[in-house]
Amino acid sequence: MQITFWGVRGSYPVPGAATVRYGGQTSCVEARTDAGDCVIVDAGTGLRALGNKLAREANGAPGQYHVLLSHVHWDHIQGLPFFSPAYIPGTQISIYALLTAANELDQVIGGITRAEFFPLPLASVPAQFQFHTVEPGVALSIGAIEVMPIALNHPFGAVGYRMDGDGSAWAYISDTAPFDKVLHKQHFLSGLEPLSQVDRDALQAMHDGLLARLRGVDTVVYDTHFLPEEYAKFPHYGHSTPDHAIEICVAAGVRRLVLYHHAPSHSDEQMDQIAATYLAKGAAVGLEVLTAFEGMTVAIGVAS
Amino acid sequence: MKLRFWGVRGSFAMSGREFLRYGGNTTSIELVSDAGQRLLVDLGTGATELAKELMAAEFGKGAGVLPILLTHTHLDHIQGLPFFTPFFIKGNEIRIMGANPATLPLEQTLQNQLAPHYSPLNGLENLAAGVTIETFTPGTTITLPGFEVMTAAVPHGSIWTTAFRIACDGKIVTLLTDVEYPSPDEPLPEAIALAKDADLLVHDAMHADEDYESRRGWGHSPAHAGVVVAERAGAKELALFHHSPDATDDMIDAVVARTAASTSVPVFAAGEGAYFDV
Repeated sequence: MQITFWGVRGSYPVPGAATVRYGGQTSCVEARTDAGDCVIVDAGTGLRALGNKLAREANGAPGQYHVLLSHVHWDHIQGLPFFSPAYIPGTQISIYALLTAANELDQVIGGITRAEFFPLPLASVPAQFQFHTVEPGVALSIGAIEVMPIALNHPFGAVGYRMDGDGSAWAYISDTAPFDKVLHKQHFLSGLEPLSQVDRDALQAMHDGLLARLRGVDTVVYDTHFLPEEYAKFPHYGHSTPDHAIEICVAAGVRRLVLYHHAPSHSDEQMDQIAATYLAKGAAVGLEVLTAFEGMTVAIGVAS
Repeated sequence: MKLRFWGVRGSFAMSGREFLRYGGNTTSIELVSDAGQRLLVDLGTGATELAKELMAAEFGKGAGVLPILLTHTHLDHIQGLPFFTPFFIKGNEIRIMGANPATLPLEQTLQNQLAPHYSPLNGLENLAAGVTIETFTPGTTITLPGFEVMTAAVPHGSIWTTAFRIACDGKIVTLLTDVEYPSPDEPLPEAIALAKDADLLVHDAMHADEDYESRRGWGHSPAHAGVVVAERAGAKELALFHHSPDATDDMIDAVVARTAASTSVPVFAAGEGAYFDV
């Protein structure tokens, strides 16, 4: 199994000279087994270029695509209307997502192509869409890939995914805040709110559940949107730092961490510094730390 | 009057080396009067770059005033809204003005953009700044501090967008974007009237002329349509705008060269970058 990064940015796409090397498109990762089974994780703006590649490979033939969504904030779904295979008749697209703050997944996804927002409604797109609601702890299979959704700590909810295939495993853990200062629920936060004992227990359970699911995973892609000094200002935004990610990965005995969901404000030069700093920090605790850039492909598992 | 393009790209924000000279951000245009009054048109991703400059000045202190006109609410024209940081500072006074979409009132449309499943902001009411949503009927004239704005509805595929004729300091800028006429050779009289004697016409040029035939009906113009409007209206200069996400810098250069060779009206491609005098 291998994974390829098509969008590594959080929040919104950032074109320009400062993001040429790491890339400016938002969340989208392609996972592929040795046999060619493909899963797309998140449908941010990176999905457009992935879709163009898949459409070229399909050469006009309809395909079957599986898209796992961590949640449906804009930066994780904005590429969907620009996924060119969707315009090939006969194509089937399965969307998997946690139901957050809405009753019907098809209406949430359909809502982004309402007439006010986009010229072509979802119902008129040639591809057939199927919507599957996922639940943390309830496994599903996509081809030869076993998928386990994992509860994360993000405004209005998000899930990570552990994906097992070809004798190894990787996990996509984005978006999430750490599990100490804030428990994200179904309301707007303008800052930190006091935690009750029930909240603390819920956070502990989420933290322990994540660690349990990450045991035996080779590579973890983790939301490391913030540097520590940025996180200190915005702890209620629902994102982590590389230090948080290292702590989780070391506790779970993971081999390799990939820093992901970079803040839109981080320039290539800053990303170089972040990559070097956390490569060294990881090495000190026996963890390989990579920093995702657009176009990066990572082989999952240790070659035998 | 000065003008700065913060985003010139249509449909989709494009990052990467091939889009550096003209820029990959979606639409956002800032106009500044000689007296320093500002007007912003559209909240594409380009607006997030302007936001950084605004926050370094009075908007960071909660003392900013900004009127924003929306051409329409397709996502490439509003996707910067949730990340336009002046909205997050108490004391800033920001007016968002646009026509109601045919299918939903403007305010409800923007509320849907900020719905809790799509955005942690969970609604316009959580923006700390003073934000008002104001609607107008295209055809009316809007008076803003420093600017007089004539409006007109123009066809954009299955919807209507608003075109603007903006007068300031004795100069005229006409913005005709996300527009497709029945034929590029026969622009609508309303469009020509709006661009009459304009000092600068900014026109939708999503398609290269040779690509247009296969994309007819998508709601956008070929570069040639702007030329026809500029010539018939007597506009003094034409800026090609709303570049296709597939158009690299080199491709845009080629479109400009061919377009400029076809007319006596000075032509350039809108690009992100510096303020210039209209």
